[in-house]
Amino acid sequence: MGIAQKLAAGQKQVAISEFFEKNKHFLGFDSLARSLITAVKESVDNSLDACEEARMLPTLKIQINKVDSKKDIIEMKTTDNGPGLPQKSVEKVFGQLLFGSRFHAIRQSRGQQGIGITGVVMYSQLTTGSPTHVRSKIATEPTASVVDIGLDTRKNKATKSNSGREIWEDENGELIEHGLEITCRMKAKYQRGRQSVWQYLRMTSIVNPHADITFIDPEGEVHHWPRVTERLPTKVESIKPHPRGIHLGQLQRMCNESKDSRMTVFLRGNFSGVSSRSAKELCEASEIDVKVKPKSLKPDQVRSLLEAMQGEKTIAGKPVKLLNPPTNCLSPIEEMLIKKGLSKTIDSRYIITMTRTPSVANGNPYQVEVGLIFGGSMAADKHVEVLRFANRVPLMYQQGGCLLTKAIEAVNWRQYGLEQAGGKGLPKGPAAILVHLASTNVQFTSEAKEALADNGEVMEEARKAIMEMGRGLKKHLQKKKKMAKTQEKFELINDILPAIAEKSAQILDRPIPELSGSITKIMSAVISETQTTWNKETKMTDVEIILFNYTSRARSYTILCTWPEKFGAILANNEMGGRKEATGVWAWKLATLAPGERITLNYSLDGLEKGDWTETDVFYRGTQEVIGATKMDEKFLEEIRQQEKALKEAGIEISETNDIESLEIEEPQDIEDNQFEQPTVEVPDGQQTLFGGGN
Amino acid sequence: MVRRHTAEETKVAMHEVVAEMYDKIVKGEPPTMTLPVRTKNNIGFDSKLGVYKYGKKRSIRDATSLGSAKQLLRALHVVEFIEQMIDAGKSSTLREMYYISESWGMGKFGTQNDSNNLAEDLEIVTKCLREDFKLRPEEDGARMIGNLTLRERNRRGEWMRINARDDVGDSGYGVPYNVEEEKIELLEHDIDFIMAIETGGMFDRLIENGFDEDYRCGLLHLKGQPARSTRRIMKRMSEEWDLPVIVFLDGDPWSFRIFASIAYGAIKTAHISEYLATPSASYLGITSDDIVAYDLPSDDLSSKDIEALKAELSDPRFADSWWQDQINMMLDLGKKAEQQSLAKYGLDFVTDTYLPEKLKELGLA
Repeated sequence: MGIAQKLAAGQKQVAISEFFEKNKHFLGFDSLARSLITAVKESVDNSLDACEEARMLPTLKIQINKVDSKKDIIEMKTTDNGPGLPQKSVEKVFGQLLFGSRFHAIRQSRGQQGIGITGVVMYSQLTTGSPTHVRSKIATEPTASVVDIGLDTRKNKATKSNSGREIWEDENGELIEHGLEITCRMKAKYQRGRQSVWQYLRMTSIVNPHADITFIDPEGEVHHWPRVTERLPTKVESIKPHPRGIHLGQLQRMCNESKDSRMTVFLRGNFSGVSSRSAKELCEASEIDVKVKPKSLKPDQVRSLLEAMQGEKTIAGKPVKLLNPPTNCLSPIEEMLIKKGLSKTIDSRYIITMTRTPSVANGNPYQVEVGLIFGGSMAADKHVEVLRFANRVPLMYQQGGCLLTKAIEAVNWRQYGLEQAGGKGLPKGPAAILVHLASTNVQFTSEAKEALADNGEVMEEARKAIMEMGRGLKKHLQKKKKMAKTQEKFELINDILPAIAEKSAQILDRPIPELSGSITKIMSAVISETQTTWNKETKMTDVEIILFNYTSRARSYTILCTWPEKFGAILANNEMGGRKEATGVWAWKLATLAPGERITLNYSLDGLEKGDWTETDVFYRGTQEVIGATKMDEKFLEEIRQQEKALKEAGIEISETNDIESLEIEEPQDIEDNQFEQPTVEVPDGQQTLFGGGN
Repeated sequence: MVRRHTAEETKVAMHEVVAEMYDKIVKGEPPTMTLPVRTKNNIGFDSKLGVYKYGKKRSIRDATSLGSAKQLLRALHVVEFIEQMIDAGKSSTLREMYYISESWGMGKFGTQNDSNNLAEDLEIVTKCLREDFKLRPEEDGARMIGNLTLRERNRRGEWMRINARDDVGDSGYGVPYNVEEEKIELLEHDIDFIMAIETGGMFDRLIENGFDEDYRCGLLHLKGQPARSTRRIMKRMSEEWDLPVIVFLDGDPWSFRIFASIAYGAIKTAHISEYLATPSASYLGITSDDIVAYDLPSDDLSSKDIEALKAELSDPRFADSWWQDQINMMLDLGKKAEQQSLAKYGLDFVTDTYLPEKLKELGLA
């Protein structure tokens, strides 16, 4: 039960200030440094959620000023371009602890159960006596409303003062159309480093690539994380609670409030995953008459019903079969966007990201996403940086106790090329590892909501995703090594050997000899060189593949390449023709290469942004090994085709249900989600998304 | 047999190396350079010459890796550079060649060590001497004092007669880097043996104590691991004047190696051992026995010392029982001692007691 609930249920008599003082450690206000981070976090979370609901691209500005360094008084000012709040709502949102519709709705959202921005208002009030100044502008009104919100901690109500209306302009004198600005003063300390406002915003920007975030620190230094995608997070649907994930109190309340005349109607109408058959079965298992009014259930019966829902009460020894809850209530960030978020924030050489398909644990849909970024300017002799997120919210404290950290530690990183003392614990190396858990019900270890509680299924899911990524890293490192070797050989035959020939001929006063024979002997291989580069002028990604035959025999190959078809990339300037073999796989059958001959393949990818696609995987069909390419595994291709087929079938279903959102953005995950509505609750399998599942 | 080569012979020999590379390319093969393996596993005693030489193991450096290919290209640049010096009548130091290589583009040396090694490689393959290549070392030669007379041709090409006792100051006669016949002629002497000394301190002690006159000997300061010219002049004096060479060093594993390079030939220069080594040289001390017998102040062996001693146990040059005993004894003692530790018994102890006793053992006093 959330702390706010507890508060609402039984502690109304206690002065809120007293309660706040007692519980500030899990409200996030236990130290001066953390209080500031919490305040920024609550405000930013609100802004991002509001923009997301209103389908707007968020632009946030956060400014921290030191008002009185001796007394540690800090002013925080946050501004967003969201929809704003009507004047009436301002008071409620900022003043009342339990206001907000999302508390009862089940879906993935940032400020899930916290006391949210109210806490900031309260903390400011308690530490400095100052009210919080709010300026809000909604599009339909000509002026912005302003109000100072304080808190009457006895009555659990907001106090307002100095309310009025004013014209809100930006620095350039332009009228602000809509937005919200919060200014508050609190006792707090600004710190730098791993646990800082800066780090919180940096992490927020990684998982919100659609947000533009500007941070002005107390020294006046401006930190800007630009928007790297115009794509908003998938709109999440509210879902009804799933019987497997419900608590007694909640069930009791639902029964009490129900106006339904029969149990079966109640069960079908208020829960997800309950068919008419399973509604009957639930009643049977809990020995409740299907015709009974839910409102008239006795406490014992409610308990029985709960037990039936959780599979403890059975029919003929079997728990009642339930459908999985729908997973379109989740909003994963998605591989390509994590990639963008990471690469704009951290300088690196290699990025791999992966979004697993949604699963269900205890009636709660959840989804794991991981990302690994390697190389660049990151320190090679330190532990990797762990970037933990729950529902797009950065987790910054209690790293060691968090399920997501444990999932990273449970992987043997040495086999993937990172240092790890004893094959356990956090690996060392120039890398950052991101783990994101999206779920309708994130279980934390404590109310501080900084570490995820242990959960075997989620842990296994995360571990699998991380291992998959590790394999990607290993492949990359091996490839890099091979490339370096190949590069050396090219230097040898292109520069050194001709110089040896020339110099020796000159010393001996003889003609410069022909080199092709020596070159073939030195290389004695077929080599491919691939370059994937962003073309500034055409705004396309250019790919060039050169195949050299440095063997003494003629060779013929089919060359296959991957391209991000799913993300809307279109093959352009492909003069060699070829054909599509599967989703995201193109093939060219090449003419026979005579010894010493080379062939160049050129094409461009349109419809991508800079940094979207930086490495092209090249495969070959043919007998002689090609250095720089991988032999095509036909099984892999078959797998892709199978998945493709499945997707197509699922696609028909979708058009029938008119799920326009999913169709518009062509999200494979969303399509697969719909498949998940069918099976009953079982241990989720580790099926990956098509794009991330490679090899 | 090592011998000096004329300019023309040197060029021909170098061209053979170049031709090996060129012909391989013409045949459609990667160019190569064939060299003997230069480790202690490939040196053997040449009973005809009385020194250790490289054995039959050959390594082929071929241009199939970038590193080897660069070495071949460097070798070509060095050959070209040497030809230019021969034609211009110039010479250069190895260090100068290293800097000149800056303009060789891809054939540029990575380190000074690269250039030194390559010069040695070329000596080995062509059987020419560094002197034939007009390359000289940085290292300066030894100092010498004693009643011996030689003739050195100075920069102006004039021959100067020098007596290494009467015509020199306290620092003695400085041995030039080239001690071949075109530069130095050994004329006459009135000494019974030559004593090579490792440290400058001991060399000066013996001079101050008048040891060279009292014991009718020539004193030669080795300056640690002796330079090629130092070893060469020792050999010439020993052979041309038929004089015994007595070697007086510190008592540690590195001194043993110095002696081995003087008497048997150094591993790095095993291709010219018969030209540099003095097989008749005797090791006087400090021996492992001396450390015990004279109760000398000593230091503990370091881990590197121990490693070196163990390596010497399997070095063919230390295969005889006397050396095996000395090395094992030092390992047992776990101690090493410097020459100057003899000063424990006073400044004159070395000349009045130690050396006379040791020379007696060797039958020289």
